[in-house]
Amino acid sequence: MPEGKAGFGERLRRALAAGTALPSALAVASALALGFVVIALTGKDAAGGYARMLDGALGGPEALGETGVKAAVLACTGLSVALAFVVGLFNIGAEGQFIAGALGAAVAGASVRLPGPLHVPFALGCAAAAGALPALAATWLKAKRGVHEVISTILLNWVVIYLVHDWLVVGPLRAPSSGANVSASGTAQIFASAELPRLLEGSRLDVGLPLAVAFALLAWLLLGRTALGYELRAVGANAEAARAAGVPVARRLYLAMALSGALAGVGGALLILGTERRYPGVFRTGYGFDGIAVALVGGAHPLGVLAAAFFFGAMRAGATRLQLVGIHPSFTELIQGLAVLFVAARPLFAALAGALGRPPAGKGAP
Amino acid sequence: MSSPLASLARSVLDFAPPLVLAALGGVVSERAGVVNIGLEGLMRVGAFAACFAAYATGSAWAGLAAGVAAGVALSAVHAFVSIHGRADQVVSGIALNLIALGLVTFLLEAVFGTTGTAPVDTLPELPTLLGRSPYTYLAFAAPFATEWALRSTVPGLRLRAVGEHPHAAATLGVSVARVRWAAVLAGGALAGLGGSALPLAILHRFDNKMPAGLGFMALAAMVFGKWTPIGALFASLFFAFGNAAADTLRSAIPRTGALAAWHLDGILLAAPYLLTLALLGGFVGRAVPPAADGVPFDPEAKH
Repeated sequence: MPEGKAGFGERLRRALAAGTALPSALAVASALALGFVVIALTGKDAAGGYARMLDGALGGPEALGETGVKAAVLACTGLSVALAFVVGLFNIGAEGQFIAGALGAAVAGASVRLPGPLHVPFALGCAAAAGALPALAATWLKAKRGVHEVISTILLNWVVIYLVHDWLVVGPLRAPSSGANVSASGTAQIFASAELPRLLEGSRLDVGLPLAVAFALLAWLLLGRTALGYELRAVGANAEAARAAGVPVARRLYLAMALSGALAGVGGALLILGTERRYPGVFRTGYGFDGIAVALVGGAHPLGVLAAAFFFGAMRAGATRLQLVGIHPSFTELIQGLAVLFVAARPLFAALAGALGRPPAGKGAP
Repeated sequence: MSSPLASLARSVLDFAPPLVLAALGGVVSERAGVVNIGLEGLMRVGAFAACFAAYATGSAWAGLAAGVAAGVALSAVHAFVSIHGRADQVVSGIALNLIALGLVTFLLEAVFGTTGTAPVDTLPELPTLLGRSPYTYLAFAAPFATEWALRSTVPGLRLRAVGEHPHAAATLGVSVARVRWAAVLAGGALAGLGGSALPLAILHRFDNKMPAGLGFMALAAMVFGKWTPIGALFASLFFAFGNAAADTLRSAIPRTGALAAWHLDGILLAAPYLLTLALLGGFVGRAVPPAADGVPFDPEAKH
C-alpha cells in the first residue's frame, strides 16, 4: 500500500515541522528560563553560569569533542527509547540495557584478540546482544504474561545494575590485580584493537559520533521509508487494526524491543570503547534514563532525537563548568526534568497559544 | 530479640511503612484514573523536605508535615498538566522523577553545602509505642481505612467511578477534574509521607541516593496488589520481607573465605527484584488496571 505509506510519511514530516519541533524548542527554552530563575533565587550568578556552560559545551575543540562524545551516547539511548515508542511500548529499561551493553563491550574488548577492523564491530555486536537480552525479557513478560513493560523494565534495571556492579564487575569479571593494574578496579583494560579511533586532535571525539548519526539516519529510513517500518508504526498506532491487516504483531514487538535494547547497549559500548577503555569499578552514568528525556524532547522522531541528543550532550559537557560558580552539575537533570514536563504539557501549550491551534496529540508517541 | 527471625521481623516492620504508604498513594491516584509513576520523585522530595524541616525547627512532627506538603506540592504539578493539560501521564510522571532528582541534589548543595549525606548530626525523633514509630501503625491502619473509604463512602464511590467510567460519573454531576485533583494530591501526600519516614524514623539522616528505587518498588507493589489498598499492603510487606531476608543473608556471609570470593552480594541484592518479576509474571496473572487509568478526560469526546 504505497499510497498509505506516502501519506504516513507526509504526516510524519508535518508533525515534525509543526507538531513537535516548535513545542519541543519552546519546552527546552522554558526549562532553561525557569532554571535561570532557580539559580538566581539561590543567590548565585545565573548569567555567569550559563555563559560558562556554553563555553564548556562549544568553546574550542576540546569542549566540542566532549559534547560530541556525550551526544553520541545520548543519541543511542534516545533512539532506543524512541524505537520502543514507535510500537507503543515505554522502555524505561534503557539504563539497564545500557549497562549490560557496556559490560558486553568491555568483556569482548578485553578477552578476545582480533585484528583492528574486526574487533570494534565484534565488541559492538556483543554489546547489542547484551542490551537486547533484558529488553526481550520484558517483551516476553508483556506478550505472554501481561506484565506491563513500564513495571518490568524498571525492575530489570535494578536486576542488571546489582548483578553487574555488585557481582560481575567486583567478582568473576574483575581484572586480576597485577603489576601496573594494582590500583585499577573494574574489568580488564580492552585491547588497543577494540578502541574507537579518535577523530579530532586535542579532543576525545571518536567515531562514535558518526556511528550514532548513521544509526539515526538508518532508523529514520527504516521507519519512514520501508514496509517493515510502516508495520512497526501500524502496531504502535493500533495493534488490533494492524493484526486485522495481517501484521504479525508479536513478532514486530519483539523486533522493535530487540532493536531498542541493542541501541541502548551500543550506547554503553561507545562510552566503554571510546573513553573508559574498561568497565570501571564505579560507573554511575544515567545515560539510559536521560535517553527517556532525549526521546520525549525529540518527539520520538529519529532526527528529532538526534537534535535533542546534541542539546543534552552539550548541556552535560558544559555542566562541569557550572561548578566554577558554585552550581552542582545535577542542575542539568533539573533542566531535563522541566523540559520533559513542558513536553508533557504540550497540549496545554497548544491551548494557550491559540494561533498554533493544533488538537491535542492522541495516544501513542507523545 | 536477637534471634535472626526476630531481627528479620523488626526489619520488615521498619522498612515496610514507606513502601506501604507510597504504594497506597499510587492506588488512590490510579483508582481515580491518573497514572502516577512519579512515586519515586514524590518520596524523594518528601524525604528531603522532612529532613530539612525537622533539622530547621527541631521538631520531627514539623518534618513529617513538611514531607507531606512537599509531596502535595510536586503532585500538584502532575495534577495540573495531566488534568488540565490532558498530558500523557506516564511522561509527566517521568518528569516528576527527573525534577525531583535534580532539584533535591541542587537544594542539598544550596542548603547543606554537600551532595552526599546532609551534615545533620541528630534529627529529632518521633515518639514510639512498643518501640515502633507512628509510621508503622499508620502503615497498617491506612490501607484498611482506605479500602473502607473506597468501598463504602460517597467520595470513595465517586473516586472509583471517575477512574472506571468518567463519562458516566460526569453525567451524574460528579466533577471529574475535581475528584482527580483530590486523588492526585492525596496520593502525593501519602508518597511524601512515605518518603518522610526514611529520614525521620528509619535511617535518621538524608543522603542523596534516597529513596534508591523504593518508589519504583511501591509502583510494583501497587500492581502486584491489583490496585487495591489491602493488596498493596500485603505486596509491600512481601517486598519488605524479601529485602530484609536478602539483607540478613548478606550480613550472614563471612567477609573472608571461600564464600566471600563468590561475591554473592550482587545476586542477593538483585534477588528481590527478580522474585518480583517472577511473581508478576507467574502468579498474579493479568492484573486489570482501572478502566480509565491514564486516559485524560475529555468531556466532549465520544464514548
